[in-house]
Amino acid sequence: MRLPAGVRDWLPHELARKREIEQQMRAVFGRWAYEELQTPIIERFDVLERGLGEEATELLFHFNDRRSTALALRPEMTTPVARLVSTRMREAPLPLRLAYIAPVFRYYEQPQEGRMRELTQAGVELIGAAGIDADAETLFMAIEGLDEIGLRDARFDINDARIVDGILEGVGLGGDAAREAKELLQRRNLVALRKFDRPALVDFAQKRGRHDAIAQARSICRTPASRAALDELDAMLERADALGYRSRVTVDFALLRDLEYYTGFLFEGYVEEIGFSLCGGGRYDSLLPRFGFDVPAVGWTAGVERLLIALERRGKHVRRRRHRVDVLVAGSDVVAARERSAGNVVRYAGSQLSDEALVDEARAHGIPRVLIALDGTVRELRVGPRVGDLPVPRTPSNWDAR
Amino acid sequence: MSKPPEAHVDGLTIAMPKGALFRDAAERLRATGIEVPHDVGRKLTVRTSDGTTLLFLRPADVPAYVEFGSADCGIVGKDVLWETDRNVAELADLGFGYCRLVVAGRRIDRYHEGAPLPTFLRVATKFTRSAESFFAERDLPVELIPLHGSVELSPLVGLADLIVDLVATGTTLREHDLVVVEEIAESTARFVVNPVRFRAKYEAITALLDRLATVAA
Repeated sequence: MRLPAGVRDWLPHELARKREIEQQMRAVFGRWAYEELQTPIIERFDVLERGLGEEATELLFHFNDRRSTALALRPEMTTPVARLVSTRMREAPLPLRLAYIAPVFRYYEQPQEGRMRELTQAGVELIGAAGIDADAETLFMAIEGLDEIGLRDARFDINDARIVDGILEGVGLGGDAAREAKELLQRRNLVALRKFDRPALVDFAQKRGRHDAIAQARSICRTPASRAALDELDAMLERADALGYRSRVTVDFALLRDLEYYTGFLFEGYVEEIGFSLCGGGRYDSLLPRFGFDVPAVGWTAGVERLLIALERRGKHVRRRRHRVDVLVAGSDVVAARERSAGNVVRYAGSQLSDEALVDEARAHGIPRVLIALDGTVRELRVGPRVGDLPVPRTPSNWDAR
Repeated sequence: MSKPPEAHVDGLTIAMPKGALFRDAAERLRATGIEVPHDVGRKLTVRTSDGTTLLFLRPADVPAYVEFGSADCGIVGKDVLWETDRNVAELADLGFGYCRLVVAGRRIDRYHEGAPLPTFLRVATKFTRSAESFFAERDLPVELIPLHGSVELSPLVGLADLIVDLVATGTTLREHDLVVVEEIAESTARFVVNPVRFRAKYEAITALLDRLATVAA
């Protein structure tokens, strides 16, 4: 009677917290005029491979159907959305602003906190829009998203995938060496990067800052693409400053995202006390063309469970709102139905309980009114909590009540 | 003992390895100006006058403390990083604590001179992960026997044909008439940091990194 590793149940009070965060994110998506959509949990293996690249298929839970079609559970939402947009939404006027709040699945050999096999992603895709306006929209929306759930000190690091290519070219690394260096840069393994004997590369791996860091990068980056990217980061910082985000947005040239489809602007949001990022995203202009639809796109996504962990560490979840019940009804389906149609939440107690048992039940669940219907008459009892006897029912869903 | 502060609050929290690496690690941190006590005794944590918090941990536990951010950074042997595979950023090779991870066998078996290995090979080790990937890369079928100490005994009493173990000076091998069959990798102490904390405490961490590099030179 055990769960597989890396997945979890959500008890009612836990799910209530998760839903609250999802609602807050949904509200932010709505304010930015994004529309929510849904895709199947199961995709064809080849579709996911096409979007994510061969390496990322190691992350997939995959299996065959009875006709031996290779299928897999989606490990993220960007590829399914790209598939959908490039097929059924091809004729829709661009740009498209799409949002999702959905479970995704990853095959981790050793799942742990922040690396669960089932997780919920809340994110958006802005499809058919190139350039810094679209990039900025995703970053500022993510900042508002984390603000909305109460992480108002979350910080955001930005970078551009074109810059690392400019740096690697600038220090004379190509081919396999460049690929390896990129991986080491992402993990910020300075020890291994030093073995390339390119001091500038090691310098970059630890370079964070603002306009100063960008200016320094200009002395190494010569490719037009990387220089354009540096100009855009400069402009992005200025736009962030104007919104009052000066202390929250920093350039980090070692910031690279796991998935290979990113082509430009990148960012990650985090809070100091949690060892992994809470949200992130970037530009992936090469993804939709892989599905035969040649349009640019940018997006971001947040891990809902990670947001919950961050809030919980701060003791911000304590607002454990119990499920509100307005009235406890005994003895009459008709009375209960009348109360429900009046807009009340009704708990129905059947027909066999004594006054005392009904009051106990109401008190245990914080229900203020009891209606007892007997032989055509209805009696109402008012129930207040006994002093020093606040209702904490000893039911399994409250086992961790403290 | 004062209450251990939370790592994200102010000064750096540094995870230090007890045991073989401790003296050198303490020496190196002292050279950067951190007052590491000479005698830690049974203390688990110390707060120095400059606001640094030191955690004294079993070496194998250092990566977990750093990955989850209970420590901002730490000092740990590369051998431990191989075994734990935690998500920490390796910022500096501190040079001390040199040792090699090797495959070793009995001299009389002559595996080191190319004698054929048994078809059903048994390998005893404390370094299961490293040993597993070493033999997997060579497609060698082996029965790995995880042990927790005195691995050098196992070939002498027929428990294993080979061992995978750390060798510093080679004395232990020689004493038991064991010889290195193949070297897997070299290990030294590393300065590691939590990836998010690197960003959040950038100034403090890079300053410490620079001082560590200067005092080593």
